[in-house]
Amino acid sequence: MSKRGIKGALKALCAPLLLMLSGCSKSGLFLLEPKGLISQVTYHYFNLDVGIMLLIIIPTALLAIWAMWRYRKGGGGDYRPEWSHSYLIEAIVWGIPLITVGVLSYLSIKAIYQVNPYNPGAISSKGTAAGKPLDVDVIATDWRWLFIYPKQKIASVDRLVIPAGVPVRFRLTSTSVVNDFIIPQLVGMIDVMPGMRTKQALVADKTGQYVGYSADYSGAGLSWMNFETKAVTKAQFAAWVKKTQAAPQTMTYADFNRFAKPYLAVHHHRMVFGRVQSGLLDYVVREVMSGKVWRTPMAMTENMVRYMKKQQANVKAGEY
Amino acid sequence: MFVHLQGPWNPVWGRLSLQAIPYQNPILVGTFLFAMIAALAIVGAVFYFRAGPYLWREWFTTVDHKKIGVMYCLLGLVMLFRGFIDALMIRSQQAMAVGPHSPGYLGALHGYLTPFHIGQVYTAHGLIMVVFAATPLLVGIMNIVVPLQIGARDMAYPYLNALGFWLTAAAAALVMLSLFVGNFAHGGWYGFLPYFELPYSPGVGVDYWMWAFQLSAIGTTMGSINLIATIVKMRAPGMTWMRMPIFTWASLSTNLIALTSFPVLMVSLALLGLDRYFGTHFYTAGQGGNLMLYNDLFWVWGHPEVYFLILPAFGMMSEIIPTFSEKTLFGYATMVVASFAIGGVSWGVWLHHFFTMAAEPSVNSFYSVTTMLVGIPTGVKVFNWIFTMYRGRVRFELPMLWALLALFLLLVGGMTGMMNAFAASDYMWHNGVFVVAHFHMMVLLIASSIFGAVEYWFPKVFGFKLEQRWGKWFFWFMVLGTAWVFVPMFILGFAGMTRRLDYVPVTQWAPYLRVMLVGMAFYVVALGFFVAHLYVSLRDRMKNRVGADPWGTTRNLEWMTHSPVPAYNFAFIPRVHARDEWAWRKEHGMANLGNESFEDIHMPRNTGVPVLLGALSFALCFALVWRIWWLAAACLGLVVLVIILRSFARKTDEVIPATTVAGVERAAQDALASPARG
Repeated sequence: MSKRGIKGALKALCAPLLLMLSGCSKSGLFLLEPKGLISQVTYHYFNLDVGIMLLIIIPTALLAIWAMWRYRKGGGGDYRPEWSHSYLIEAIVWGIPLITVGVLSYLSIKAIYQVNPYNPGAISSKGTAAGKPLDVDVIATDWRWLFIYPKQKIASVDRLVIPAGVPVRFRLTSTSVVNDFIIPQLVGMIDVMPGMRTKQALVADKTGQYVGYSADYSGAGLSWMNFETKAVTKAQFAAWVKKTQAAPQTMTYADFNRFAKPYLAVHHHRMVFGRVQSGLLDYVVREVMSGKVWRTPMAMTENMVRYMKKQQANVKAGEY
Repeated sequence: MFVHLQGPWNPVWGRLSLQAIPYQNPILVGTFLFAMIAALAIVGAVFYFRAGPYLWREWFTTVDHKKIGVMYCLLGLVMLFRGFIDALMIRSQQAMAVGPHSPGYLGALHGYLTPFHIGQVYTAHGLIMVVFAATPLLVGIMNIVVPLQIGARDMAYPYLNALGFWLTAAAAALVMLSLFVGNFAHGGWYGFLPYFELPYSPGVGVDYWMWAFQLSAIGTTMGSINLIATIVKMRAPGMTWMRMPIFTWASLSTNLIALTSFPVLMVSLALLGLDRYFGTHFYTAGQGGNLMLYNDLFWVWGHPEVYFLILPAFGMMSEIIPTFSEKTLFGYATMVVASFAIGGVSWGVWLHHFFTMAAEPSVNSFYSVTTMLVGIPTGVKVFNWIFTMYRGRVRFELPMLWALLALFLLLVGGMTGMMNAFAASDYMWHNGVFVVAHFHMMVLLIASSIFGAVEYWFPKVFGFKLEQRWGKWFFWFMVLGTAWVFVPMFILGFAGMTRRLDYVPVTQWAPYLRVMLVGMAFYVVALGFFVAHLYVSLRDRMKNRVGADPWGTTRNLEWMTHSPVPAYNFAFIPRVHARDEWAWRKEHGMANLGNESFEDIHMPRNTGVPVLLGALSFALCFALVWRIWWLAAACLGLVVLVIILRSFARKTDEVIPATTVAGVERAAQDALASPARG
């Protein structure tokens, strides 16, 4: 009776948590549903890591519970107040963490090389089998993402289109402050820093839509600084490139200087540029290094409400 | 002057104008009214009871380590409350502002806080909880307990002790003032560069953050110098290193960390100050600046700081668990070695705070491994606590409950910490809420140890025990709240949710965010029980009066003297015969203090100078925040002048005559012999 009572109580307590787990597993828990080569490798090591840790943590927790219950006052446990040392136990309590950390360190180092953003072992070990990589230059502004396809000479704002099954190599920089580029189901975080250029690489396994966003705090527009990643077939990608190249808008260095002014992407004003002046990313890195600053106006830090109204008016007037 | 300032400036008021007062924000106006009513009530009570002179004489100007410790704890408690309110606002905003169709109130597009406002809230939450709640509480408890544990009459530098406190209090006041005059930094408590440079943070918020942080860093450094000197030089005769109580060992290791790391913080903030005030380029993206320099400097302080917080917490657990297991601590020497190992390794792990900066894999490998190394001594400590209970007689009184909660939180926090150290996994959630949930496990562990320590040492300081009934309700609701807030947060961590969002774009996360609100409700109820706990304890204080050793199974020197502890701590400086001296004396029938003839006791004299310096530093920082140069210069000049004048003061000590000592001792004995009931 009492056992069933406890079980029932436990069920009642856990039910909401379980419900949450089952209700949203389809699309909410990104890290547990990896869809790219890099994220899958990470997920594999994550499982190994957690498994090994649980092997230690669960017995330790049980040991703690057992000790405090068995030796509770009045519980009739053996009482030896002076007992405070044992070489055997000392050896065990140092030995277990030592061995665990040794094993985990080995795995950790191996994993770091597998998912090294500059040259991920997981991709390079496939050699040419992985296919000819696609290059994408990423520029984070305050607070939008500009994806430039330098070979195709096109660009896209807040939408990344990539062919599935093909390695994508990113070069990333920022115009103003540090952002952090992540597409949780495809690849982990990489800092996007002003005046510097970082790299990242990924392969999307299947076609689909994945959420990407900036993870490092960059100001008022951070929460809206997310982008859609569309992994499409090679043919669809080629068609998209062709269509985009026909788009009328162009992006020269001068255009970019206007584009990079602080803008909150609340309305997801996605756009594409049919022609992009070559070497834009290097230009931005150079400019920022030599002191170019896109200042955040006071109005965008102190009274966001007034600013939002002004921005909406500007959008209507055709400015961006 | 040297930099491009947005907005007006004039020589008299600096950047200060009426617009700096956020009267159009209903939340802040409400807060202001609440603060004013509370302040009026306190000031009114002080005048009504004519407590002013008493407070000034006995508390404000005191150099007594116990009273300073109590004031540190009170400051920590007030700021803990403020930090909790901030947490409530963050959680409610995120629960409301999910998805594009969530409604917005009070001018916000979603939820009820604009991005700028919630930015201030979580920046303040982080800074307050780490620097103005946890640190003062821990420093306060170390202040009270360490001199008692080593059989000293006060700290090595009582005046410095008071100064450290008043600088910390001034810094906390500065943070509070930013609510009503101007605004606070809105980018996160540890600062982002170049985001905190003038072009991207043009307001005064960052300046408030910077100066409050700087001032508290100075205060904490002073405290650490003091505690180290006290532990090294003022131990009672016979207390060799390996007879020192374990909490004192923890204090020593933690203050060595503080002394060596806080100056790095001061430098990193000072360089930011140069950037913001003189237009230098230490951390700018261009013109030769290096923004990663800030990350390096800050976290070279920041990670040791984490262990600065956790080591005293471990020390508290190591005191409470043996007492309530009625047994000696298992593996004393190991515990000492483990504390110093944690302190030592803390210097070699800081880069894991920016694993995602695209360092060479070899670099990340090194820091991944060093970070995991922390797990070894920490794991050893967990096992030693378990083996302390093994073959003991465990009593589940309130301090023990808190210590055990801390132990289980350490298991969760330690495991998730190891997961963060696994760099490849960390790439997935580095700036995510998984990390947030992890370090909240750790700071809640610290908070649990603090609550346990307060329950444990409270009777020693005030002479009566806290009641247990409401205290247990408080405890269990804290447990419930922690489970309901942080289990969903860990799940959201696996979902890939990132930190510092004022608007949550992924609608599937909404249920978790709402469940967290349930947890916050448990915390609010817990707060109510906490107030009841304090109220009932204070009401029944005469009923719950205790003698020197209220728990019966305590082990160290602090339990040898009366509760409450007299100003001079010990009528006679005890001679130490063993580790766990008090337990040794009880075993050998030496529990009585003895009735030898009393002697004059030489003690430091109270002084108002620390209060004055605290007030001047507050004004100095306020002037710097608003760039009121004349006021800053005047305050700085006065600070220097006061320090010079103080160095000429000769009467900094006084003597408590033997007759007074005899009177106090007799009164304490009598109080015990005939305990007043009701």
